[in-house]
Amino acid sequence: MSIGVIDIGIGNLGSLRNALYSQGWDTLPVRTPDDFCDISHLILPGVGSFAAAMQRLSKTALLEQIRNFASSGKPILGICLGMQLLAEFGSEGGKIEGLGLVPGRVDPLSVADLRLPHVGWNNAHQSQKHPVLDGIRDDVDFYFVHSYRFFTDDTSSVIAQTEYGETFPSIVGKSNVIGTQFHPEKSQANGLRLLDNFCLWDGKC
Amino acid sequence: MKKCTRCGLPETYETIEFDANGVCNICRQQQFKQGAIDWSARKTMLGDLIEQYRGKYDYDCLVPFSGGKDSTFTLYHLIKEYKLKPLVVQFNHGFMRPNLLANNERTFKKLGVDVISFTPNWKVVKRLMREALIRKGDFCWHCHTGIFAYPMHLAIKFNVPLVFWGEPSSEYTAYYDYRDDVVEEVDEARFNRFVNLGITAEDMKGMIEKDFDLDPRDLIPYTYPALRDLKKLRYRSVCLGSFIPWDVKQQSKLIMDELGWQGDEVEGLPPHLYSYEKIECAMQGVRDYLKFAKRGYSRVTQMTALDIRNGRLTKEEADRLVAEWEGKKPPSLELFLEFLEMDESEFNEIVSKLAVPPHSPDFKTIQWGPRTGDFDRWYRERKT
Repeated sequence: MSIGVIDIGIGNLGSLRNALYSQGWDTLPVRTPDDFCDISHLILPGVGSFAAAMQRLSKTALLEQIRNFASSGKPILGICLGMQLLAEFGSEGGKIEGLGLVPGRVDPLSVADLRLPHVGWNNAHQSQKHPVLDGIRDDVDFYFVHSYRFFTDDTSSVIAQTEYGETFPSIVGKSNVIGTQFHPEKSQANGLRLLDNFCLWDGKC
Repeated sequence: MKKCTRCGLPETYETIEFDANGVCNICRQQQFKQGAIDWSARKTMLGDLIEQYRGKYDYDCLVPFSGGKDSTFTLYHLIKEYKLKPLVVQFNHGFMRPNLLANNERTFKKLGVDVISFTPNWKVVKRLMREALIRKGDFCWHCHTGIFAYPMHLAIKFNVPLVFWGEPSSEYTAYYDYRDDVVEEVDEARFNRFVNLGITAEDMKGMIEKDFDLDPRDLIPYTYPALRDLKKLRYRSVCLGSFIPWDVKQQSKLIMDELGWQGDEVEGLPPHLYSYEKIECAMQGVRDYLKFAKRGYSRVTQMTALDIRNGRLTKEEADRLVAEWEGKKPPSLELFLEFLEMDESEFNEIVSKLAVPPHSPDFKTIQWGPRTGDFDRWYRERKT
């Protein structure tokens, strides 16, 4: 079984697949519903806009498959935009329905006079324990590139928080679904450890 | 030269720093090891780690083995305390002494273990020694890299993901710090950080292939395996000494009593005090002599510093031993120069260039030290 990486033709999956490869995992680009047969874990990488990504997912019939995969209890990881897609709604380019796997919505970061996008290393303060954080110390840095953020009223879904102008969830999760606002594949040792933990995770908390 | 007010290590020692009281960082991290590490929690971690791997592979773990006190104790401890079935892997650097070989045979037979011993091509070894001596003043590159890389190749080939080394480097240097309270992984990052002297096998290839008939495969034993392959194995490569407090004297006594392990005299060291230390290699005397020439101290300073930290020796006794034993020319130097086809003035010139300031060697005043009892049984390449 491989680690599936959703490939809807938006963005470059190279760095993520290389990171997983170097950690000893085999990846499979997931482009059609049939690809779901051969994967044990699913990663939603994220580059691009919420609207465009959701549109591509429904066009390629992957949307239903992702929801089925989630309800089967197998582990799903969303990265950056992929994390935001887990929400119920996104406001990027109008109000759009998301995957609805983690309660919440996505809106622009409000950072006063700080620059957007939020680019670079920033620390993630862990608000609760999670299997993907095994062996990763609290408040270590990860690499961020984003202008939108996750909002949720469900505090039990917030795994870690980061501050940039305001405090926002940098890791969210609900049962077998987890999402990181930062890019673990670009976050050196701690990020690779998180990817490794995810690939070893059985989806139970 | 500036020296630690507590243990006497000089400023030319790798990774050393001094605080306002003139006490070095290695003394400070040692105090932490003795005071603040929760060793009972570490022991639980060790038990959990072992249970993850026990019985699931052809061997429960792999133990890289030199036959010195640390690897002998490690093997003994894992078998007696944890009843593990290890694969013992020995990298023969080319200079194993008669007493060591006798110790090894006795240890293997008494413990009942499977052993693989590997000896790399001697002609390649000699060329590697020459290059490493010229570049770094440390001819042991083939041994440093082979000892750490070769067993990892076998871990992959034999599908044995758990690898146990002995002593953590935090005992001696501050590349890793006990105060960080993390378990040191013996991995490629550590290999590249200091084990390989900053020279990879690929670098080495470029340095020697012009004047040496090298088959690139000759360097595989000195090359760290691909991270991907190790990761795929889900490997863990750790030091037993990260989980139990390392006590060299007590452990040496234990293996002497339980396994009949015997110490040996070593060139340049007071035999009544340190007969358990670095008995593996006939070229140990040359190694220590190089250290003295480059940095102005040798193993006597290093050993007495460790004993001062562990409260077994006073600074005054240490100073006396250092004055008596340090800085003698080892008889093994003659053999070493034969292997490298080098004369002593060339050797001295190479080493002078690599001295670590503020130290600068003075070869004129150096006397020959005594031969060890097995000197006549060491392999030689005398020119007739």
